Amino acid sequence: MKSKLLALLAVGLLIGAAAYGQRSPGYDKVVVLQTRIDARDLGYPPLDIIPDGESGITSLTVAPNGYLYGATSGNHSHLFVLNPRHGYVQPLGVIPGATDVTHSVAVSASGDVYIGTSPEGHLLKYTPQNEHNQTIQIGQPLTVTDLGQPVSGESIFALTIDPKVDVLYGLTSPNTHFFKYSIAPGKFTDLGVVSERVPEGEKFERDKMMSRMLVVDQEGNVFASGENGAFFRFKPIAPKIEKLSIRAPAVPGREPWTRVDAFLLDPSGVIYGGTSDGYLFRLDPEKLTVTNLGKPLNQYRIDGLVRGADGKLYGVGGDKEEMARLFSYDPPTGAYNLLGFVDVNRRPYYTWQAYVIGAMASDDYGTVYIGEDERISKLYLFYPWP
Amino acid sequence: MQMRKSETFDEIRKQRHWKVRNAVRKFWILGAFMFALNGVAAPKTVTVQYRFFAGLPQMDGNWAALKAASDGKVYAGLACHGCDGHLVFYDSKSDKMVDVGDLTRLCGENGLRLGPQSKVHAKIGEGKDGRIYFATHAGLWFDYARTSTQEGYPGAHYMAYDPKTGQVQDFGIGPRFEGVNTGAYDPKFNRIYGLTHPRGHFVYYDVATGAKVDKGRINNFDSICRTLGIDDEGNVYGSFGGGLIFKYDPRTDSVRELPLQLPIRQKGISLGRDYDKSETAWRVIVWDPETRKFYGVEESASILFSFDPYAGPDGEVRRLGQMCIPDFANSRNVPYATLSLTVGLDRKLYYAAAGKEFDYGGSAGLAASHLITYDLRTGKTEDLGEMHAPDGRPVIGTNAADTGPDGTVYFVGATSVEAVAGEQNYGGKIGGVPYRLALFIYHPKAD
Repeated sequence: MKSKLLALLAVGLLIGAAAYGQRSPGYDKVVVLQTRIDARDLGYPPLDIIPDGESGITSLTVAPNGYLYGATSGNHSHLFVLNPRHGYVQPLGVIPGATDVTHSVAVSASGDVYIGTSPEGHLLKYTPQNEHNQTIQIGQPLTVTDLGQPVSGESIFALTIDPKVDVLYGLTSPNTHFFKYSIAPGKFTDLGVVSERVPEGEKFERDKMMSRMLVVDQEGNVFASGENGAFFRFKPIAPKIEKLSIRAPAVPGREPWTRVDAFLLDPSGVIYGGTSDGYLFRLDPEKLTVTNLGKPLNQYRIDGLVRGADGKLYGVGGDKEEMARLFSYDPPTGAYNLLGFVDVNRRPYYTWQAYVIGAMASDDYGTVYIGEDERISKLYLFYPWP
Repeated sequence: MQMRKSETFDEIRKQRHWKVRNAVRKFWILGAFMFALNGVAAPKTVTVQYRFFAGLPQMDGNWAALKAASDGKVYAGLACHGCDGHLVFYDSKSDKMVDVGDLTRLCGENGLRLGPQSKVHAKIGEGKDGRIYFATHAGLWFDYARTSTQEGYPGAHYMAYDPKTGQVQDFGIGPRFEGVNTGAYDPKFNRIYGLTHPRGHFVYYDVATGAKVDKGRINNFDSICRTLGIDDEGNVYGSFGGGLIFKYDPRTDSVRELPLQLPIRQKGISLGRDYDKSETAWRVIVWDPETRKFYGVEESASILFSFDPYAGPDGEVRRLGQMCIPDFANSRNVPYATLSLTVGLDRKLYYAAAGKEFDYGGSAGLAASHLITYDLRTGKTEDLGEMHAPDGRPVIGTNAADTGPDGTVYFVGATSVEAVAGEQNYGGKIGGVPYRLALFIYHPKAD
C-alpha cells in the first residue's frame, strides 16, 4: 500500500510538470548552458526577415575576412551574411533558381561567394559590395553571375574550395558526379562518380549514397564518401577521382547506407568527420587510415562538426525526426562532453529550441555558428568555454 | 518526519483520510466565513449534474478531448500519466458510461514496453460517416531524454471509432516520436489535423487517401497553441508567435501567416507563475456556423475575441470582453484560461472559468469554477456562479466543453472525492484534496 501511495504521489508530482506540456525551470538542465549560447533571427522581424518556410539553414561558411555567409532552403533559398563586428544577420537576397543550397557555399581568397544550387544545379558567383549599407529587401533577387551547370541534369549537392589554387570542388545529385571548377579559366571538369547504384533497401531508399560535404586536406587532395561508405580521394594531378580501400565507420552490414555527414580539416593535418549513423572518426590523409572514435550520442547523424578556439571539436547530432544535441570532443584525451539541446531561453524576450540542424561553422574569434534547418529557423551562436 | 513506534500504517492512513476530509471541510467553511465577513450572502452557484467515469478512477486529466456527437453519445479522452489513457463515451439516452478501451491496447502497442498512449489531448471529431475521429498523445516526457529512443514514445496514432460496430480503426502512427498535442477533425475534407508536441509541427491525416502529411514547424514547444479552429470551408487556423494567426488552406495544401494580432496582454515571456505556460496564443476557439465567425479565449488574461476569417483578404480579429471570473477582471493574476468554451444552441457562449490556476495535479489549489456566459445577440457577459453538483461537491476545474444536439452543455473536469482506504479511487490531488474526473452536464435555462 505504501508503494501504491508513493507511486500515486510521484505521478501527481510529474503531472504538474507534464500536463501543461510546457517548459518548466527544470528543463534548463538538459539544454546548453544559457550563458554560452544565443540566437539570431534571420533579419529584422517582423517584416525584413527571411520568411518562414524559406529559412532552413543548410549552408554556412566563414569567409577569409571573418564574415559568416549562409544559405537557406525551402520555398526559396536566401543568402545572408553576419559580420561578427555587428552581430546580426543581414539577408542579402533570393538566390536565383534555388530552393536548396546544401553545404554549397564557398568563399574564395578574393572574397567572392560561390553558391551551388538545387534543383537547377548552377554554380553562381556573388561578389560582396558594401553589403551593410544596403537596404534589406526581402524577396529581391541576389545579384549573381551564373557560371553554368557542372553536369547537365544534375543539381549541386555539396561544394568546397581550395582557396590556395582557386579551384572549387563539388558533388552532384542524384548521380553523385564529382566535379571541379577552376575559377581563372572558368572551366568545369567532371571527374567521375562516387556511387554507381542505389543501395538495396526498402521502397523509401532511392538515393545513391555520397557524403554531404567535401574536404580539402593540406596537400590539396579532396575527400568524399561514396557507395558502401567507401572513401574517395581526388588528387589535383589526377584525371579522375579514385576509390580508396578505406570506409567510413559502420556496424558491419550497414555500410551500404552509410555516408559521411560532416568533414573537418584539423590544423594538425588530420581530417575529422561524422557519419550518418552518428560515429565520429579520424582520417589520416597521408597514411589513409580511419579511426573510429565512437558515438557521442545515442542518435543518428552528425549534422555538423567544427573546431573551437580551445582545440576541441564541437558537433551536433540528431536526425530529422529527432531533437538535436550539442557535444564536444577533446582530441588529446578522446573525451566527449554532452552539452545538451540547442536551445536559447532569453525570457522575457525570446525562447526557441532548434530540433534539426542543417549546418555549422566556426570563426577565429571562437564563435561556433549553428544553423537550424526547420520551417522556422534561427542562427545560433555558441561560445565555448575558454 | 519521525514516526512514533505505536503508529501503524493503517493509523497513518486513517489520519490522512481525516486530514483530507478536514481539508475539504475547511475549504468550504472558510469560503462561507469569508463571505460572512464581507456581509455577503452565500456565493451564487449554478448546479451541474455529474457522472464519474466508471471503473477509471485513476485517470488524472482531460484536455480538449470531448465531443457531443449527433446521436447523443458524448465522447471523452481520459489521460493517465505514466499509464494508458482511455476513450470513453457517455450515452445520454441510456445514462450509461462506456469504456471503449485503453489507448495503448487499441494502438496495438501493449506489452511492447514503449512509452504508453496516455491521452487524447486534442478535440475529437465526428465524420459524415458517423465515425468518431481522434489522435493520441503521450503522458510523460522526461525532459525529452527518451525522445526517439527505443523505450520512448513511438508517436501519435490517428484513429476512428465506429459507433455502429463498436470497433476502433487504427490508422497507424503519424508523427514519429511525437504526440498530437492539439488537434481537430474536419468532416468536409475528412482529415484529422494536429500540432505535435514537442516539435510543434502542423500535421494531418487524410482519411480517404491514407496520406500522412507534415507541413513543418509552427512554434516552439513551450508555446504551442492548444486549439485549432476549422471554418465551414475547411480552412484550418492556429495561433503562433506573439499572438499571431496562421491559416492552412487544404485546396493549396499550404500554410500562410496572416497579418492579424490577437488581443493578448503584452508582457513578453514571463518568469514566475507562467514559466511553464504559454501566454502568447489563443487557448481555445470555437466556430459559430450562424455568424460564420470564430470565438475564442486567449491565454494571458482570458480575453474573449471574435475572429472573422471571411472579413477582407486576411480576416479580422475583435476584442469582445473578458471571460474570467469578474473578481479577477483586469488583475495581474487571472487564473490561466481553460479549454472549456462552447457555443450553446441558445446563442450563448458557455465558458467554465477557473477559480485558481487549474491544471489537475498541477493546480495552484482548490477553488470552484464559475460558469460564464456571453450572449452573442446582446454582447452581455454573465457570471452564473460557482459550479456545484447537486450533492454540493464543487467543480474544481474543467478543460473541455461541447454542446449536445439537444442543447445540453458538457464539460470534463475534476471534482473532489473522499479517499477510500486501500483503494486508488482518485486520479490525483489538488490542494491536498483527492480529485476524480467527471463529466459535468448543464442544461441551459430558456430565457
